[in-house]
Formats: sequence, structure tokens, C-alpha cells
Amino acid sequence: MNEAFSLLLSGDPETWAIVGRSLRFSFFSTILSLAPGLALGAWLARRDDRGRRFVAAIVGALTAMPTVVIGLFVYGFLSRSGPLGFFGLLYTPAAVVVGQILLALPIVASLVWSGLSRIDPRFHETVKTLGASGLARLGATAREGAPVLAGAVVAAFGRVTGEVGVAMMLGGNIRFTTRTMTTAIALDASKGEFDRAVSLGIALLVIALLVNFGVHALRPRNDR
Amino acid sequence: MTDSPFFEIRDLDFSWDAGREGRPALSIASLALGEGQRVALVGPNGSGKTSLLKLLNGLTVPRGGSILFEGETAWSSAPLRKRSVYLHQHPFLLAGTVSYNVGFGCGRLGLGRAEREDRITRSLARLGLAGFGRRRHRALSGGEAQRVALARALATGADILLLDEPTASADRESAALIARVLGEEAERGATIVIATHETALAGGFANRTIRLEAGTIVEDTGTTE
Repeated sequence: MNEAFSLLLSGDPETWAIVGRSLRFSFFSTILSLAPGLALGAWLARRDDRGRRFVAAIVGALTAMPTVVIGLFVYGFLSRSGPLGFFGLLYTPAAVVVGQILLALPIVASLVWSGLSRIDPRFHETVKTLGASGLARLGATAREGAPVLAGAVVAAFGRVTGEVGVAMMLGGNIRFTTRTMTTAIALDASKGEFDRAVSLGIALLVIALLVNFGVHALRPRNDR
Repeated sequence: MTDSPFFEIRDLDFSWDAGREGRPALSIASLALGEGQRVALVGPNGSGKTSLLKLLNGLTVPRGGSILFEGETAWSSAPLRKRSVYLHQHPFLLAGTVSYNVGFGCGRLGLGRAEREDRITRSLARLGLAGFGRRRHRALSGGEAQRVALARALATGADILLLDEPTASADRESAALIARVLGEEAERGATIVIATHETALAGGFANRTIRLEAGTIVEDTGTTE
């Protein structure tokens, strides 16, 4: 355990490079999932009809989908014989980010949908009666839903940072290129190198705690 | 001020249920409201007062009949959207400061920054809220929130005020202030329709009283001046 802490505290370059890479992948996949996730969530919240309920059920199922299944699905597309194989993305950072976008997107969409659906109906009547333009209405909605949106971002970031299936299947756990905290932990533990595994586990735990603190801090308050 | 029926309701049938089944919340064969009228809508809870106000503002669509504003269908009338404002019984304040809320009401006027600030300050002062601009919406009492919402409504420059129990959450002092401001609006020719249980407020400035029961008009005094 002491060795694990000293790997982190001494600034071991490879350990910190893995942490940095994981955070980088998570950052890009979360950011890139925002626009489609927001649009999908807002679309679902606009009305309640049979088609939207069907899509909502799929989005809900995807939020709980095991990461290896998503990894396997994307692998089928990106592998050399797959329909997108000609891009040569498999086992590159881009492949990991693509897979993680698919993990983050349903989380963002689902939280945005649920947040926007909970906005007080008086809000819509108020902005309408005050004659707000489309842009002003969008701004007011973004302001009203800001805590929900921030919570969605944090939750999506947490999901992709802690996942192992996509990073392993699409990144291949290649040293200095696609190795992330979770894939490195799996590898080091299997090799019996517990110190590095535990040090990365501690880093992951701290990040998970920070993410959860973030979710709680940004959770919409019920005191309006 | 004219007395032409710029609001005209014919064979109105409205229900909060989406379908055509169920008891209508409002059923009015014919009603005309003239410009500059000061109307008190009275009646027990559930009699259709709120529904009528929202319909007059074009916020909801009836399942049958028509509501015309100066000959145009109310819910798609741009002039009505520009000239009227509806105030909830329990007003909704947007997340932000009091100034943001009142300023949001001026948005449709396309004012410059200085003019906008001036309008916010004047609207707040009229409702006894000078110095409240930087307060957050959550930090207000029910009565203060109601006055902020009225200040926001007045800041729009609307001359058709559709107000649902505007003194419901107000203490006596605030209620008197609101009544005074509404009196001033009436004097400058605004058309005001108020749903209220407060007979003092209704009698104080209304020149027409319409009593609703179970979604129908059971009494209409007509214009009394």
C-alpha cells in the first residue's frame, strides 16, 4: 500500500501519464456527447407520444448497457472487415473516444430529458406570456436547466472515466497510446503488479468521489 | 378608450383534458370584452376563472368555439402576444435575480441597456421594491414574489393585464399597494381582467363583474360606468 501511494506522490511518469490519458479521453468523449445528447433530451422532453416513449425506452436501456457490449458493437464497425474498417481507427485513442461517446450520450440525453420534463409548467407559460423571442426562451430554458445540465455532464464524465469494456476492446490497452486507468488496473492485477494497480485504483477512487461530490453539488434544489 | 368588443368569445368549450370526453372546465356561449374595461371574474374555486384568463391570453387552446382578439384568433395573434400579459396566482420567477426577472419582461420591447435599466428601476419602485434588484428569486417571500411578478408584467408595457388572484399571497400593505398600482394602470386606459375572491379589490376598481360557476357565466353586470 505504501508503494502504491509513493508511486502517486513521487510523480511516477507512467502512472500519471495513464491518469492524464484517461481524463483526456473522458473529457473529449463527454464534450462531444453534449450536443447530440442535449438535442435528443430536449426532443424527448418536448412532448409525450408513442414514438418518443419508444426512443426514451431505448435511451434508458442504453444508460445501463454493459460497456463491453457497446465495445463489441463498435468493434464490429471499426474492425478491418467492418463497414468503417477503412478508417483504420481500431486500437487508437479515437476509437476509445468514439466508444465512450456512445456511453456518455444516453446518460446526457436521459438526464436532460428528465430534468427538462420536471421544469414547472408555469415556466413555459411565463416566458410565453412575457413575449420572449425564440432566443430569449432558449436562454431562459438553459438558465433554468443549468443545474440539470451540469449534473448530466458530471455523471457522463464519471461513467466514461470508470468504464473498462470500451477502452479494452477498442483501445487494446496499448502502452503509451490507449492504456487507461481501468485497463492498466486490469493488466497490472493480472500480472501480479498490485502496487501500480492500487495506485491507479486510488486515483480512480478520488476522481469518482470528486465526480459524485460534483453531482450532489449541482443537483437541482427543490426549494424554488 | 373605446368600448368595442376587442375580445369576443363564441361557443367556447374548453377542458383541461386533452380528449373530448369529460366535463368542460369552461363553456361560454357568448362574451364580449371592450377595450379599457376593468373586469372582475368572481366565483368559487374550479369555476373556470383561471382557464378563462389563460384562454384570453392565448396560452391555451379551446377544444371548440372561438376566442377572437380584434378579429384574430387569440392563440395565434401577434398583437395580443405583444399587448397582453398573464400573471399566475402563484407567480413563477425565473432562476436569477429580481432585476433579471423584471428585465426579462422588457425583452420584447427591444430597449437599449440604459432604457432597460431605467424601466426595471421604475417598475420595481412602483411596487415598493426599490433596492431589491440584486436579490435572488429564492430569497423572496410570497408577497414579494407576487409584487416582482407584477413589476415584471408592467415592465412589458402591456396594456391588457390578465391577473389571477394578484393579491393572493400579499399581506394587507402589499395588497393595498397592488390595488393602487392597478388603479393607476386602469386610469391610463389599460384593460384589466382580474380573477379574485377579494370583494374589496373587485369592488374597488372593477366596472364590470362576471360571476362564473361550474364553468359557465351565471351573472354579468355589464359595464357599470
